[in-house]
Amino acid sequence: METTLKILYYDTKVPAGFPSPALDYTEKRIDLNEEFIKHPLATFICETEGLSMINAFIPPKAKLIVDRSLNPKNGDIVLATLNGEFTVKFFKKNQYKCWLCPANSKFPDIEVTEEMNMQVWGVVTHIITDVNDVRSCMR
Amino acid sequence: MYALVDCNNFYVSCERLFNPKLEGRPVIVLSNNDGCAVSRSDEAKALGIEMATPAFLIKDLIQKNNVDVFSSNYTLYGDISDRVMKTLGSFVPRMEIYSIDEAFLDMHDMDYTDLLQLGMQIRMAVKQNVGIPVCVGIAPTKTLAKMANRYAKKFRKTIGIHWAANDRLIKEMLAVTEVGDIWGIGRQYALFLKRNGFNTALDLLTAPEEWIRKNMTVVVQILFNGLKGIPAIAWEFKPPPKKNICTSKSFGNLQTKKEEIKEAVSNYAAACALKLRNQNSCCGSINVFLQTNLHRTQDKQYSRSITIDLETPTNFTGEIIKYALKGFDIIFKEGYNYLKCGVMALDIIPDDKVQSSLFDHCDRKKNKTIMQAMDKVNRSLGKEIVRLSVQGFEKRYRLKTEYLSSHFTTDINQVLKVKI
Repeated sequence: METTLKILYYDTKVPAGFPSPALDYTEKRIDLNEEFIKHPLATFICETEGLSMINAFIPPKAKLIVDRSLNPKNGDIVLATLNGEFTVKFFKKNQYKCWLCPANSKFPDIEVTEEMNMQVWGVVTHIITDVNDVRSCMR
Repeated sequence: MYALVDCNNFYVSCERLFNPKLEGRPVIVLSNNDGCAVSRSDEAKALGIEMATPAFLIKDLIQKNNVDVFSSNYTLYGDISDRVMKTLGSFVPRMEIYSIDEAFLDMHDMDYTDLLQLGMQIRMAVKQNVGIPVCVGIAPTKTLAKMANRYAKKFRKTIGIHWAANDRLIKEMLAVTEVGDIWGIGRQYALFLKRNGFNTALDLLTAPEEWIRKNMTVVVQILFNGLKGIPAIAWEFKPPPKKNICTSKSFGNLQTKKEEIKEAVSNYAAACALKLRNQNSCCGSINVFLQTNLHRTQDKQYSRSITIDLETPTNFTGEIIKYALKGFDIIFKEGYNYLKCGVMALDIIPDDKVQSSLFDHCDRKKNKTIMQAMDKVNRSLGKEIVRLSVQGFEKRYRLKTEYLSSHFTTDINQVLKVKI
């Protein structure tokens, strides 16, 4: 993830008299990369298709920010591989078992069994959605 | 101590990262123009696919065993490599990136007493954060570290790490390393050594120094010191600016038309100019070359190159294209099936050391501003968005990349799509 950040630079000539009172308060602009991507080397982006996570605010065409450096905790939304396919689900676990759970009552919970090949690829940390994609789901 | 960290089957591992179906299956990645297998999964190696085997020779094998084949996706591999290298860099004060998939780490001033543990941590961090499996070899010299890495791959597969920590462990390692597998010893030398009774690295170490001095090149003598545990190869932290810059690729299909080859020459010249600007250099002369396919015995053969001296060294795209095309005009001949052309930038000097010519008509200051603006636009909006019209758009000559995966990490329109 690369960042280009414009630093504020006042090119106003102040020959004499009263300088801009804002100059003393110059700070750099908010950088979304810095705010939302804590581990840039371990962060990847993916895009979703489908409705199984709609109640977790993940509409189709959402861009997910995925951090591989985090260890998945109970209740995290994860990007996982299940038998060779990628999926995005809630990761739930107790002492004995773990599940991949959708956020849409039309889809079933998936209990991860011994014979399944399931791996958490990374933890979803943020969801970026185009407002128009959200609107089209609400109709 | 030095560590050599090497990514396992790097290009294949990159493809697997975004395509979990490939796990456990034979996978190969082909070189430019889908020529030879340059990266092979362990399963593909087990099928007997050797490094650099031309793809057409193993067509049947690929079909019969359902081998997954990919064109090289250097955009993806470059970004993943950068992530791996920066992750490695966070562990040690000094490192040297040796190639796209390997780096030497300097472990001399580390607080760790157990470097095996540090190696383990490095390995786990790269696997978890970037998703690429690596092997680590740790030893007193770079030559030995390279050897320890091989050893780890071969004999310590499950932990993927070997620390040749003391004389006993080093000797053990030397004893199982064939002379041909020593870093820097080519096939011819290996044969010569074997003829003289040196089969393993350990045999070589016991050779009288006099014999080595008489029979081996300086390079090998340096290696010899390296084997003995005397660090000899200088530590390089930053690659020095390149002395030669060359852009050249084989055409996807044989080309005969002057206009199309001209477009390729222009693009390669533009690529050279960009490489020069990226390292703040200018070139004093340009070499253009053109050749037919030597292996097509049914074709008439032609191959020629020409070097053009520039009045004033430059790195401006327009100027370099102009001179490259001038050269191309001179060497191009109709009636041949051309396989390859290329442009080389020679006599490279730093751009602040350029002496302008008395008869120079070019407004260098203005040109510089134009180039800076162009590079800036291309960096932010995409490669070659702004280009010279002679570079064209169609690229009929471009590489064959039939089995190319997406640019998952560098293009927002190509990110991993997940059905949920």
